[in-house]
Formats: sequence, C-alpha cells, structure tokens
Amino acid sequence: MPNHRRALPSLSAFVVAGACLYGAYLVRAALTPFVLAAAFAYVLNPLIVYFEARGLKRAHLVLAGYLAAGLLGYATYAGVKTIVVEQVTDLANDAPAYAKQIQKLVAAQQVKLTHALPLPPKVAEHALDSMVGTGLERVQALPTELLGLLPLLAHALLVPFIGFFFLLDGPDGFEHLIQTIPSRFVEQAIHLMGEIDTALGNYLRGILIVAAAITIVSFVGLLLLGVDNAFAIAALSGVSSFVPYMGAVVGILVGGGMAWYQFGTLWGAVKVALLFVGIRVADEALLQPVIARHSVHLHPMVFLLALILGGEIFGFLGLVFAIPAACILKALIQVGWSWYASETGLASAYGSAAEAVPYT
Amino acid sequence: MSPLKALRRWFVDPQFSKKKQFLHSLELFSDLNGGEMGELVHSLHARTYRPGEVVFVEGDIGRALFILESGKVELTRRGADGKPVLLYTLKPGEFFGEMALLESLPRSATATAVEASRLHLLYRTKLDAMLSSHPRIGVTIMAHLARLLSARLRRATGELSAAPATNA
Repeated sequence: MPNHRRALPSLSAFVVAGACLYGAYLVRAALTPFVLAAAFAYVLNPLIVYFEARGLKRAHLVLAGYLAAGLLGYATYAGVKTIVVEQVTDLANDAPAYAKQIQKLVAAQQVKLTHALPLPPKVAEHALDSMVGTGLERVQALPTELLGLLPLLAHALLVPFIGFFFLLDGPDGFEHLIQTIPSRFVEQAIHLMGEIDTALGNYLRGILIVAAAITIVSFVGLLLLGVDNAFAIAALSGVSSFVPYMGAVVGILVGGGMAWYQFGTLWGAVKVALLFVGIRVADEALLQPVIARHSVHLHPMVFLLALILGGEIFGFLGLVFAIPAACILKALIQVGWSWYASETGLASAYGSAAEAVPYT
Repeated sequence: MSPLKALRRWFVDPQFSKKKQFLHSLELFSDLNGGEMGELVHSLHARTYRPGEVVFVEGDIGRALFILESGKVELTRRGADGKPVLLYTLKPGEFFGEMALLESLPRSATATAVEASRLHLLYRTKLDAMLSSHPRIGVTIMAHLARLLSARLRRATGELSAAPATNA
C-alpha cells in the first residue's frame, strides 16, 4: 500500500512536467529571450560567486560588473570599430560581385564535368543542371534564412537586460524552492540541482571557451593569410561552434570560398581549410581534455539524436540547446536511478575484508 | 571615513560575514582560512524548519550533513515497543547526519525541529565537488569526520569491553 501512495505523486509530477513542457513549446517564441537570458546569467554566475565568496554583495557586484562590461565593450568597439565597419562595408559592396563570381565558377566547372562524366552529354548536362539548380536555390535562399535569425539579434539588448535580474536573484530562487517543498524532499531537490548544475555548467562554460578561442585564433590566422573579411568569417565560425563541429565546417566553407574567390586559386582555399582543421585538432588536443574532464559524457548516438531532434523542433536555437537539454535529461535519469538503487537496496553498502580486523 | 573604506563598506555583505563567523566557530570547519570559508558558505544551503517539522526520518537514505544555527532539534529512535526514544537534543552550533557524507545508507534516527530552527545543509555531492576543486577544504572536513568516527568507535569499543566487568 505505501508503495502505491508513493507512486501516485511521481506520476502526477510527470503529467504536470509534461504539460508544462508542452505549454513552453507552444509559447517558445516568447520564451526565447528568457531562455537565452537564463543561459547568459548562468554562464556569468561563477564570476559573481567568485567575488561573492570574498564577502561582497551580489547586487553591487552585478551593477559594477554591468558598468565595467559596458565600458569595456565600448572601448573594444571604439578600438576595432574601423576594422569592423570597413569589413562590413566591403562585404556589402562586394556581395553582388561574389555572387557573379560563384555563378561563373560553377558554370565553368559544370562544362568541365559534363565532358568528364562517363555519360551521354545530354544526360550529364541535365543531371548537373538539376544539381546546380538545387545548389543555387539553396544559395539564393541563404539570405532569407539568415534574415530568419535576425529576431535573435533583436534580443541582443533584451537578453542582458533580463539576465541582469536573473543575476541579481542568483540562487535565491532555489533557496525559496527548498524552503517551500516538504522537508523530506529537501535532500533530493539539492541532489538533483547539484547534478544538473555540474553537467550543464561544465558544458556551457566549455562551449563558450571553445567559441571564444576559435574566433580569436581564426581571426589572427585569416589576417596572417591575408584573407578579406577575416573578422566576419572568424565571428561566423565562432558563433557556429555553439553547434558541435559546425565551427570548423562553416570556417572552411565560408573562409575557403572567400580565399578561392580572392586569390583565384584553390591553394588559397586549401590554406584556409588547413587553418581550420588545425584549429579543430588543437581544440581536440588542448581544450577538450580540460573541458570534458568534468562534463557529462554522452554516447555519440544520443549526441546526434539530441542535435537532430533539437534542430527539427526548435530550429537553430534547438541545435544550440540540444546538448544542454540532453545533459539535464541524463542528470535526471542518473539521480532517479541513484534514488531507486539506494531506496531498494540495489546499491550495496561499503564492505571489505579490512572490516573484520578489530579496532586498534 | 576614507572613500576607499566607504566603498568597501558599500560592497561588503554583513550577512555573509556573520555566516562565515558562525561556521568558523564550529570545530568541523575551524581549520579553514577566510577564502576557504567563503567557498564553503557558497556550498551550503539554508532552510528554516517550523516547530514539529521533521528534518529526516529513521530509515530515509541520508545524503546531507545538517548544521544547526539556531533553534533546537531532537534526535529520536524507534524503541522495541515502536515508541520514539529520545537520543539527544541538539543545540545551536552542533551538527548531525554527518555519516551521509561518507555513505548513502539509511538514517539511524529521526530528526525533528522542536522549535523554529535554522539549519545549514552540506550535500554530499557538494563535498565531492570540493574535494576536486578545493582539495584542502574537502580534506579538512574529511579529516575531522575521520577523527570523529575514530573517537566514537573508541568509545563504543570501551563501552563494550567495560560491559562484562560491570555485569560481573
């Protein structure tokens, strides 16, 4: 009988959690800035905690941090403004020329391939036409797709604004929660939050380090190679790296394409590709061992499934948050199993031969 | 007052200093320095229990250490007749449930707040995390727990060996 009583709240908790998730899915567009702000505050929180542990007030720290970030941001902008503005203007001016050049290159390659393919010329031409047509359609649709991401840029001011309040409150929300829940569940609630914090914190902080490293190193590398629009390509590659493995792919495609167009030879594109492959290898060899040491290890299949599902349901943001969501799910399962194992006695107590030796 | 002192006063959290002072007065954390104590304060969770509220029940799986800051908590155990037997009444500054930091096994007693009580919880996973991120804090706490265990075992062994002599 007691077991039935225990099972009932768990079942209703699942139903309520499911209903909440579905409700959140329906209003996902409105929730986006809040989710981004929560992630923003969560990533910055350790910095606040670092100073808080030295006895400083959270509210004053957050205020001082925002002021300092504002001044630093302005100084950085003032410092690199010329480069950024120049590159953005150049990019806007050169865009039509890039499009024409791409079409020319494609047409030239198409003629070469038509002769090279072991097919009747008419058939080869038709097959390549349809392939190139699809490719060009994708290229033409790219600006529209990029425009679709513009609402995210609109959150650029909203996210730090909402994040300010998340940072101000800090762990108060959780402290209120443990004050409200029945006392017997306090230990479980802390256990669950601890596991989620460990998994999520390491992952989010890890990808931010990787994104910053990719942006800086690729910017310097592209400048050394003399590739135009180095800042835009580096920034795009850095932002893309929020989606696992995408940073290097985007860097090779965009940077390589730019070098190919700019220098007119494939060797330029190969050098850019080597640069991004080098950055990827360095990331795997130097950064990942440090970042992944404490993070949740997901099976590659789960990793892939999470990315596909995230992208399918929530688009670009789904791709970014797919792995953190999988980390939370894994922590929930681990904690659930740990409770079940300890409650049912599956987890055995510590025991060893040394126990038999009398106390001396 | 100099502007620097005024700025420092504006930034410093008096509640935090009070909490640090309280924790430093406990034997368990007395060996930690100021910075380590700051890290520890952030690893603890606080909760106020109403009079009569049960903190944990005998047989529950233990996962945290409780430190009593204010109020009064009773530890009881079910007797042979099923009625609760009072084992100990905790006063502010004492801690209980410490074995949960070493193993996830059923609690050997029930803890109940007798009056409004403020408790700090140190969760086992937090201690594990500290053992890798701030080893000195973790090791200091573990060393105190080991000494405590040893003292209890020594006392229990002494009581056991003294028992036949008393009977005789």
